[in-house]
Amino acid sequence: MSIFSRLGKYIKSAFVIAELELRKIRHDQTQIWIRTVQPALWLVIYGYTMSNISALNQYLPHNVTYLQFMTPGILAQSVLFVAIFFGITVVWERDLGLINKLLSTPAPRSSIVIGKALSAGVRGIFQTVAIIILALIMRIHLILNPLSIFGLLIVITLLGMCFSALSMALAPVFKTRERMMGIGQAITMPLFFASSAIYPIEIMPSWIKPVAVVNPLTYVVSALRGLLATGDLHQLPLDIAVILGSTIVLLVLASVGFKRLAT
Amino acid sequence: MEQKAIIVENLVKEYPRVKAVNGVSFDVLQGEIFGLLGPNGAGKTTTIRTLLTLIKPTSGKVTMYGVDVARNSETVRGMCGYVPQDVSADGDLTAYENVLIYAKLYNMPRQERKKRIMDVLSYLEIKERANDMVNTYSGGMMRRLEIAQALVNRPKVLFLDEPSIGLDPNARRIIWDLINRLRTEFGTTIFLTTHDMNEADILCDRIGIMNKGSLATLDTPERLKASVGGDVISISSNSPTCPVKLTNMGYKVISDAKNGQCDLVVDNGETLIPQLLSSLNTVGVTVNAVSLKKPTLDDAFLKYTGSRIEEGPGETFQAAKRARTAFRRFTQ
Repeated sequence: MSIFSRLGKYIKSAFVIAELELRKIRHDQTQIWIRTVQPALWLVIYGYTMSNISALNQYLPHNVTYLQFMTPGILAQSVLFVAIFFGITVVWERDLGLINKLLSTPAPRSSIVIGKALSAGVRGIFQTVAIIILALIMRIHLILNPLSIFGLLIVITLLGMCFSALSMALAPVFKTRERMMGIGQAITMPLFFASSAIYPIEIMPSWIKPVAVVNPLTYVVSALRGLLATGDLHQLPLDIAVILGSTIVLLVLASVGFKRLAT
Repeated sequence: MEQKAIIVENLVKEYPRVKAVNGVSFDVLQGEIFGLLGPNGAGKTTTIRTLLTLIKPTSGKVTMYGVDVARNSETVRGMCGYVPQDVSADGDLTAYENVLIYAKLYNMPRQERKKRIMDVLSYLEIKERANDMVNTYSGGMMRRLEIAQALVNRPKVLFLDEPSIGLDPNARRIIWDLINRLRTEFGTTIFLTTHDMNEADILCDRIGIMNKGSLATLDTPERLKASVGGDVISISSNSPTCPVKLTNMGYKVISDAKNGQCDLVVDNGETLIPQLLSSLNTVGVTVNAVSLKKPTLDDAFLKYTGSRIEEGPGETFQAAKRARTAFRRFTQ
């Protein structure tokens, strides 16, 4: 078999796995709307309250309100929260027998992992649409042009893939749904607070700044903020490079561990 | 000479604490229904998963239709269909979608896809409900759908891990008929595991009895049963001369005078009974009741492993049924 037809099959099976997820979302759209409740609370309650702290404004980028500043952060947070618990689904599917059956097809194992990660990205995109609609209803001004929307789709897909890969890499280690739930909760908050999602890095205590620098979520938020709020794209290539790099590393780790799920 | 579909040579799978499969060797012929029978934990599922390349064996060699399983795992997976013991259909999709995903993963050409999916769904008699969500399916329908997923690629070898576990007797019967039809109509080689004696006896051409990671014996159900000993005919009669008369006729009799019962160990009990009754009649013995007990696979299992299958099928059946019900409840 030529390398191209192999690669073609590889990509195809990853997309088939993602298609499976898309079809599930089509059958049950309410989950998307239920999941916008939490970001809505963050924007409406936390966002409006923090907007009243005028001291905060001096740290914000020029001509950006706190709500504009925060919306990309909340967007990243809501996709992160869904992706980080993706491992639970994988453990659940393994307990049922679905994973074993998937692994018994000719589809290469790592393409199944990539497909699963891609489907978390797909979920993230639906989530994003819901939150953007919410932001528009709240009259938060966001930059929405073909270029920024295209960039948004790429970053959100990578975000979903990155953290669902992290979650899938942890699944073969922890193996039960309860532990995965605990692990998810243990890592989401540090990831979220040690990023620039809801406040600028400049006002963080100095000891936490290094954490923010190595946190992939910081780069996600930075990319989203550049695209949607400030329009300042000079850091975008670096942001995307860091996110892409972490996604690839985590996908490799998840693929290596995935075989252990079958035994 | 019959062609071999699968050749397993000295298969070993060790885990840190247990030796799940301990040097197993056997062949599976093309177009036969081959069963591995044994209690839970005997190593049946590990063996099946090793053949399917889901688990790497510690040592040993498996060849499937001339292909080395360890070297060409993708080719091997492409010619197999697998129905795991647990629930493997996705409740959040329709039956059609469940099969469609597998048709795509098996790289089925687009032009053929739709027709083949509908064919397999109608073969399994779930076509009418093809567009219903699977979490509304009964256990038996779900099992048929799982088989449909495995069949859509027209596998050379179909692997069924405990095919009728958790199903009610009627659904069980339907699955058994289906497995038989698959073999006669398409010549599919079928490899199944079971801990249910009855299932192994009804379905399989040959049975390997597995216990504690080893293959205790391998033969046809008839020969396995015959190896235990003959049939037992029990005759109860009021006439006290009955045991003597039977002995005179040349039978080996174990008599119990108290309740007037005589047990004979014979071959082909069912054909012998009419003959036996008429000869007893001519010598003036009145027979009140006759019963025939054929040796069961359970007796054979006992002989070769020194123990009965510990966990009654009832318990496992209930556990699997609970799992299926819980699954549906969760996904609804």
